[in-house]
Amino acid sequence: MDLKACYAAMGADYEDVMRRLATEERVIKFLTRVPGDGSYDALRAALERKDYAEAFRAAHTIKGICLNLGLTTLLRSSSALADNLRQGAADEDTPALFQALERDYEAAMAAIRCLAGS
Amino acid sequence: MEKKYTILIVDDTEINRSLLADMLSSQYRILEASNGVEAIAMLERHHTDISLVLLDIVMPVIDGFEVLSAMNRSHWIESIPVITISAETSSTYIDRAYDLGATDYINRPFDEKTVQRRVKNTIMLYAKQKMLEDMVTEQILEKEKSNYLMVEILSNIVEFRNGESGLHVLHIRTITELLLRQLLQETDQYRLTPTQISLIVNASALHDIGKISIPEAILNKPGRLTAEEFEVMKGHSAIGAQILENSPSHREELVRIARDICRWHHERYDGRGYPDGLKGDEIPIAPQVVALADVYDALTSPRVYKSAFSHEKAMEMILGGECGAFSPLLLRCLTAVGPQLAEALSASSPDRLTRAEGQMLASQLLMGGQASNRTLALLEQERTKYRFFASMSKEIQFEYNLGTDILTLSEWGAQQLGLSELIAHPADSPELAAVFSRKDFDDLVERIRSATPASPVINVNYRLRIFGQDRWFKAVVRPLWVGEDHPSLTGCIGKFLDAHEEFEELATFRRLSMQDSLTKLRNHMSARKVIESALSHSDGRHYALLLFDLDHFKSANDRYGHLFGDEVLRDVAGKVLRSIRSDDVAARVGGDEFLIFMAYTIDQVEPLVRRIFTSLTGAYRDFPISLSMGVALAPEHGTDYETLFNRADQALYAAKKNGRNRYCLYDSSIRGYLSVLSPIDSDSDEAAGSPG
Repeated sequence: MDLKACYAAMGADYEDVMRRLATEERVIKFLTRVPGDGSYDALRAALERKDYAEAFRAAHTIKGICLNLGLTTLLRSSSALADNLRQGAADEDTPALFQALERDYEAAMAAIRCLAGS
Repeated sequence: MEKKYTILIVDDTEINRSLLADMLSSQYRILEASNGVEAIAMLERHHTDISLVLLDIVMPVIDGFEVLSAMNRSHWIESIPVITISAETSSTYIDRAYDLGATDYINRPFDEKTVQRRVKNTIMLYAKQKMLEDMVTEQILEKEKSNYLMVEILSNIVEFRNGESGLHVLHIRTITELLLRQLLQETDQYRLTPTQISLIVNASALHDIGKISIPEAILNKPGRLTAEEFEVMKGHSAIGAQILENSPSHREELVRIARDICRWHHERYDGRGYPDGLKGDEIPIAPQVVALADVYDALTSPRVYKSAFSHEKAMEMILGGECGAFSPLLLRCLTAVGPQLAEALSASSPDRLTRAEGQMLASQLLMGGQASNRTLALLEQERTKYRFFASMSKEIQFEYNLGTDILTLSEWGAQQLGLSELIAHPADSPELAAVFSRKDFDDLVERIRSATPASPVINVNYRLRIFGQDRWFKAVVRPLWVGEDHPSLTGCIGKFLDAHEEFEELATFRRLSMQDSLTKLRNHMSARKVIESALSHSDGRHYALLLFDLDHFKSANDRYGHLFGDEVLRDVAGKVLRSIRSDDVAARVGGDEFLIFMAYTIDQVEPLVRRIFTSLTGAYRDFPISLSMGVALAPEHGTDYETLFNRADQALYAAKKNGRNRYCLYDSSIRGYLSVLSPIDSDSDEAAGSPG
């Protein structure tokens, strides 16, 4: 899979990231580091122990990475969760928002793995 | 080679940091910090080198806003631009960052061109400003230096002609400065800035420049001047002013101030001075101050026509209005600085150029709040030196900065204590509290707060918990202040010295000094101390003092030798220890005589004594052990040690009298018995007490 196909598979904006980061080489360099970033695990763990301030920071970090790399779909779900947790508390929407993020995250990771494997 | 600017990137997400580094590293040197604590520590270490900070806002522990606040408190924000980067687009975030002094704001997602362009613009803007600042600072320094030299030369010429030593000028400067600083404390009506004070001090040296034109015969006449001569002499103030007015640089502030001082330093506050008869605050403050300084120094220095008066006499004459008329405010200032005057004057030596320079730098630093880059570079050098020595010294050294609320430990020290080198908010740090207890921490804070610049060094011992073990340390701590008149605390430095072995040794000595070397029981002296203290805090408790010795012990020594005798004593001591409780006191009084002191509940004393008596009786090898024991009770028989011991001793004597191998409780009927310890013949021979 090439980078363009990978971006399409993740529901991400290839044109935008290329305009901002200039070279495919750089985008690939950072994109392949996303699976190694601990924020998703940190988010999951923080939610489990109900540490919502930490969960907010983790969701916020994922959101920042998505913005940098133009991962539009995951950006949408991480922003929604970050906004939901911003006051340091969860509500009845939180579980569903996390599930959505989880789904988008897995999809993105699968696509990135394909890219790395190709 | 072109100098590369350094950028500090602060972000808790590694990907974000390296993405920025990737975009900037070809043109800039990059430092990275993964959280606010690291960022502040890096700023502390490298702030003279860092040209820009790229700052993430949302971070754990210390967030971007707190980093900005710390930069404000340390004034770094004035010379280091900060661009905040965040995915947050809400205006409250952006506004708050700007309010805290951020220069610019970049939103995620950012693109390479924008980042590079904004970074470059910001750095260039600040670099230019910094360069200008450096140039101005250098110019000012140069000018100040040459001004000072010129003033020095001129005033020395005058003094030379005047037949005075060069000290007069130095004295005038010193007194003027002291008075002005005091004046600043008393009032702000004259709007004195540090720069103005330093100008007035410099200009004060020129006050008598007009004397150049006075004929030497008058100037140095030892006797009284005639009326005509005095008129000529009085001309010097107007002439001095004239000289300066004619000088090509008469518009310079220094020269203008000097001119005022020359013309009006013989005016009087009551309007009866010369040359213009100005009155009250018509006389500018600079000549008023110099006039007072001149009078004080003239009185306390020897002159051709008089010898020197003492400080006290001079103060008395000035305050009594015998030597001119001054504003009440200035006289208050003189009284206030009086004690410092004599000391300061004896210290002014002719090599003041470098000192003056240093003082100027210092006053810039302390009063202005902003230091020049040159000053910062010097300070940075000092800090490098300090850190170098700290790293070599193998001592647990630390530094605390109140502004940033960060505790920095020397690398070696941090290793020794098992702590991080940097600890943010130490008062709330569980990591620190595990090693240095809250109670001790609060104690140290209290000591730091109550220390004063007059006695700044704190010496105190604390027990630290290191890797699960308690160890004693000697702490030496010195608080740091800025400002001479109203010092404000900025932090502290200090070190912890491991004194555990020393303390252990002391504790061992203390234990040894209380112990009987043969039996390891207490010795008599230490037992007495403990018992006295128990008796004086008895709170209604009952105590028994048991005094006993071994029957026929002498024969053990005689028959089996002293070594065997010692073994018997050790054996008995062991039995004593086994038959008492931990709160009870057991001691060897001397020879074969022992003491036991114990609390008891009323009515139980008889069984208690019997139990102990029985458990001690028996044999060591073939040697049968029996004992005679006397018992006295507190409070029944006595409430102080002396009485109690004497009565137990009398009961013991009674037990012996009654045939040994028994115990005997004191009662009033045996009062007549004399001590076994002080065997003096008794006239009463009556036995009392009942053997058990």
